[in-house]
Amino acid sequence: MTIAHIPYRPPTLCLKPDATLMEALRLMLEKGVNHVPLCDGDGRYCGVISTATILQELIPASARGEHGLSDLKFAGDATRLLTAHLHDLEIRMVRDVAKTATPVLEENCPTLEAALLLTHNHAPLPVVGADGKLRGMLSRRALLDYLVSQAEAEHAR
Amino acid sequence: MHGSAANLSQVIFGLSPLLVSLAVFVLTYAVIVTEKINRSIVALIGAGVMIFSGVLHQTEAFSGIDFNTIGLLTGMMVLVAITQKSGVFQYVAIVATKAVKADPWGLLVMLAVVTAVFSALLDNVTTVLLIAPVTLLITDALRINPYPYLFSIIFASNIGGTATLIGDPPNIMIGSATGLTFNDFLFNLAPLAAVVFLLTMIPIYLIWGRKLKATAEDRAQVMAFDEREAITDKLLLKQSLSVIALVIAGFVMAHSIHQEPGTIAMFGAALLLLLRAFGKDAETQSHETHRSFAEVEWVTIFFFVGLFVVVAGVEKAGALAILAERIVALTGGDYAVTAFAILWVSAIASALVDNIPFVATMIPVIQNMGATFGADQLETLWWALALGACLGGNGTLVGASANLVVAGFAERAGQPIRFLPFMLLAFPLMLASMAVSSVYLYLRYL
Repeated sequence: MTIAHIPYRPPTLCLKPDATLMEALRLMLEKGVNHVPLCDGDGRYCGVISTATILQELIPASARGEHGLSDLKFAGDATRLLTAHLHDLEIRMVRDVAKTATPVLEENCPTLEAALLLTHNHAPLPVVGADGKLRGMLSRRALLDYLVSQAEAEHAR
Repeated sequence: MHGSAANLSQVIFGLSPLLVSLAVFVLTYAVIVTEKINRSIVALIGAGVMIFSGVLHQTEAFSGIDFNTIGLLTGMMVLVAITQKSGVFQYVAIVATKAVKADPWGLLVMLAVVTAVFSALLDNVTTVLLIAPVTLLITDALRINPYPYLFSIIFASNIGGTATLIGDPPNIMIGSATGLTFNDFLFNLAPLAAVVFLLTMIPIYLIWGRKLKATAEDRAQVMAFDEREAITDKLLLKQSLSVIALVIAGFVMAHSIHQEPGTIAMFGAALLLLLRAFGKDAETQSHETHRSFAEVEWVTIFFFVGLFVVVAGVEKAGALAILAERIVALTGGDYAVTAFAILWVSAIASALVDNIPFVATMIPVIQNMGATFGADQLETLWWALALGACLGGNGTLVGASANLVVAGFAERAGQPIRFLPFMLLAFPLMLASMAVSSVYLYLRYL
């Protein structure tokens, strides 16, 4: 069984790499999603932008990365530190911060392998065809939904 | 068991041990300098070749490894790895900031002092890893340029590290090889380190300090930081600070209780691990102990191990005795000239390349000069080596590991420190510190 049978989200929602972070954020807020794939003019997949990545850009630089401050309770109600870089989102482009290292699922990826990759990545994964074009995004929810409905159908038979 | 004469005849293809050992040594150091391959791997390969080629027997190789240095480094790394989880370093930084009412120049001086003191007592890399993030947060909150702060932290950590036996790896190695005590280092190097620190602050004030301004509103926000919230574990704080205090007391008394710093640091680490293990089940103990050991910088430790063996190879083959003779001949056997030569060459070398391999090589070279100079004169040479190697690290961004750590952190935080702009100010400042050191050596010892 491969993921080809799973009705994953088609690539209707996608952004160009030169979209600004604010455009990405507005789109995600409006559509109620946490991840949007990036595609070039030909529909070829080139990364994914998430609310997590955008939030990461807003927290103080001193708390980012592996040796950053792991605790900011002592800074108290310093919300300004969080909002200080909001206007930067208007000028920064998604391609500068988008995650490109996340695994990509091939169209005929076995479901078991897809399930394993989805447990390691807390985000939907892009499904990409042999031509490099985005076919859609497979979420844990879509995969689990499919597994349950399959089991139920089998049980009914 | 083989005698050393028997070993020398066993060098592969009947080659001269002097040539083989020199070839391995030069090749190892050349590859380390290129930074293409991780330095610990290169050092271990060099060490292996030194043994396989027959220059050293394994027993000799192992006795070339200074386990006092290794023990001191490892023990302190474990201590700091556990202590830092208490949040004490953020606590001290915030207290220091509030003590000067978050005034930008006062803050710069305070953070530099805190960095220098911590660097004198702990290793520099850990110190800057802990101070840089909190510094960046405060400058962010004050909306001021972090560059002067990061620059001062780099200088403060190298200057602070110069002041004590345990402050910087070159001092650890020199102390271990010579038997000079914690107090010897403190009395001979700390006064100069204090002077260099003060003198460094002057140009930093003239260039940046007098122009640093923060609004009353932003300062109020920093004043609202609650240092008590920075302490994440009160019990851990008490335990770790008590053990560190004991260990430092141990270093101060090491000579009179006839113990080596390596033993004291390792015992301190074991003691803190024991305190942390009390009342916990086997699984938690195993997990926490594993994590504490995992935070030891094994790359550095294995780098030392490999280097010690490579240096033992050239030492046994007689290359370093020849080098010592040549240097003495060049300086005309004048020990004042020799001291200045060691000081300045060490400084330039340490600014350009890692000071650890340089010092590892220079130690046996200076020991070999014992044939020419008396014990008192030799001691001056040790201080010259320590000052040059530690303070020289300030000259460029690659001069010391702490510099690279600050630069790496600044880069990730979007405030990159560039090689050339840093060097343009840092190199002259480092040369100035060498001039001051020369005057100090001249007035005090020569």
